[in-house]
Amino acid sequence: MKVLVTVKPVADPNTPPAAWIAEQEGKGGSVNDVANYFDLIAVEQAIRLKDIGVTDICIVSVTDDSKMAQVRSAIAMGANRATLIDPEGKQLGAYQLAASIAHVVKKEEPAFVLMGKQATDDDASQVGPLLAGMLGWPQATFVSEIGFNDDRSRVTVGRETDEGVEVLDVKLPAIITCDLRLNEPRYATLPNLIKSKKAPMERLKFTDLGIEDKPRVTVEAYSLPPGRSGKAKMVADTAELLTTLKDMKLVD
Amino acid sequence: MNILVVAEMQLGKLKPSNRASIRMAQDLAKKDGDSFSMVLLGHQLGDAANELNRFGAKKLFVIDAPEFEHYLAKPLTDAVSNLAREHGFDRIVGCEATTARDFFPRLAGALDAGMCRGVSALCEVNGETCYQRAVFSGMALRTERIHTPIHVMTVDPTTMDDPTEGGAGEVVAFDAGVTVGDEIRFVELRRAKSERPDLSVADRVVGAGRGIKSAEYLETIGALADKLGAAVGATRAVVDAGWLPNEFQVGQTGKAIAPKLYFAIGISGAVQHAAGIRGAKTIVAINKDAEAPIFKIADIGIVADLFDVVPQLIEGL
Ligand SMILES: Cc1cc2nc3c(=O)[nH]c(=O)nc-3n(C[C@H](O)[C@H](O)[C@H](O)COP(=O)(O)OP(=O)(O)OC[C@H]3O[C@@H](n4cnc5c(N)ncnc54)[C@H](O)[C@@H]3O)c2cc1C
Ligand SMILES: Nc1ncnc2c1ncn2[C@@H]1O[C@H](COP(=O)(O)O)[C@@H](O)[C@H]1O
Repeated sequence: MKVLVTVKPVADPNTPPAAWIAEQEGKGGSVNDVANYFDLIAVEQAIRLKDIGVTDICIVSVTDDSKMAQVRSAIAMGANRATLIDPEGKQLGAYQLAASIAHVVKKEEPAFVLMGKQATDDDASQVGPLLAGMLGWPQATFVSEIGFNDDRSRVTVGRETDEGVEVLDVKLPAIITCDLRLNEPRYATLPNLIKSKKAPMERLKFTDLGIEDKPRVTVEAYSLPPGRSGKAKMVADTAELLTTLKDMKLVD
Repeated sequence: MNILVVAEMQLGKLKPSNRASIRMAQDLAKKDGDSFSMVLLGHQLGDAANELNRFGAKKLFVIDAPEFEHYLAKPLTDAVSNLAREHGFDRIVGCEATTARDFFPRLAGALDAGMCRGVSALCEVNGETCYQRAVFSGMALRTERIHTPIHVMTVDPTTMDDPTEGGAGEVVAFDAGVTVGDEIRFVELRRAKSERPDLSVADRVVGAGRGIKSAEYLETIGALADKLGAAVGATRAVVDAGWLPNEFQVGQTGKAIAPKLYFAIGISGAVQHAAGIRGAKTIVAINKDAEAPIFKIADIGIVADLFDVVPQLIEGL
């Protein structure tokens, strides 16, 4: 079975927000990139499925050469190869990202696509369902359990929803987006990182794919959220805590 | 503008977060002196349509069909996009729940529309209505502009005021004409039973972190919650340890909540957890480490052993 796994390089979640905003606005600011954590969970899942017949894992990333290290680290976990789509300096929106990935899916015809449930920079959570709609495939988002049936034609997933774990039985091919509890991604070892440099890598250019080149949604501005006061009133003991809560009419 | 609120059911009742979508529709309508309509989807809706029909909507479309007994992305996408096309809706507003988060991007695709997820406020840029939303784990706000004729959005319930009451709209049964194939079958919902208030909308929440050390201590946490009439929430550490099911998780990848009172008990205050409690009115932190980041976002703090403080609180309340 062939599986595609999408990987997006994103800013390290520990970057101070002001530095991140400065970088987003092109005003400098040094930001370390990492592979989106939810995508690493997707890669890990694909590798674990090698036991049940996954033979070919292809990483798909819409990114330029400057972020190659993040793609390599994903390959080095145990993927076979990668397809990169160079955005050629354009700011791409969710629709264009999904359309770019759809291009690769149509060419590769994988058994299914594993993705992260969201990118930790944009927090958009859009590309997976958009891609599923474009392909006319079923989707299973926020997945934390995966099991295949005997002939590998369907998959049973547990999804993390507001109401609890929802179990669905899904026909393949499908789009599956991964949630935190699906697994714990392994680290890439140094020898595998070195080996990953030799992994086959196909390179495409966004403008060659014939996708509309104006984003449907653009970013107009950034700001920091109105901070909380940052000055907690510190109390000495439980008795003082109780009187404070009562004085503030927070409890009776 | 022709605004449509997509209202959803949850376990046989109206989803509380529908209120935020309705408020957003009211705000959008007010800007342009327009009206808004709603659609309610589900099966065996009981009195839900009446309950929903008191916010001044022009029309309330009702799609009541067995196909919608369980939430599934594709039939919902088909139904709402059919309705939007037939009636020319160009603003589609939904709530920020795991259902709308799942199918709204697909809906946006079907309608060739741009989408913003988790809109927390409307703003104006050069005379155009734009949408503000939290990004980067809630640590930054971003203003986004949609360029397609149709705008699709979900609304962050922790930042919206209550909708204003208004008259009832004309109720219209809509035949969505969708079928459910065998592509996806609903199997079951595994759900922890709880007598406590719903975590997403509770006025008071007692949050438990790894500091509680064991699942057994949740009984004491629960006793405090019951004294306060509060819901129980938890950090990822607690959920990962298997002490509570995932629907109790608060934070970037769990629920975003906005209670009047939040107790953070044995919680360090990692950014991903903080992202979920930004909207809380008052945060009380109980932690034995004076340097814990939770004290930077708390309103009231106590540096102490939770195993002392929690029983004393139960006693004193
Ligand atoms: C992609 C991603 C998404 C995430 N999403 C979420 C999310 O949605 N929600 C979430 O919560 N986390 C999330 N996390 C995890 C988050 O980073 C933290 O690891 C987690 O919130 C820590 O939980 P905690 O505060 O319970 O545990 P810890 O960080 O271990 O803190 C325990 C605290 O308890 C205190 N303590 C210990 N003993 C006592 C005592 N006897 N009395 C008083 N205090 C005591 C300690 O001082 C410490 O501050 C996410 C992480 C990643 C990578
Ligand atoms: N530039 C990209 N390249 C590859 N995959 C992406 C890209 N952007 C988003 N994705 C995938 O889509 C998922 C959801 O992203 P988002 O909709 O932006 O939150 C991510 O977890 C990735 O798996």
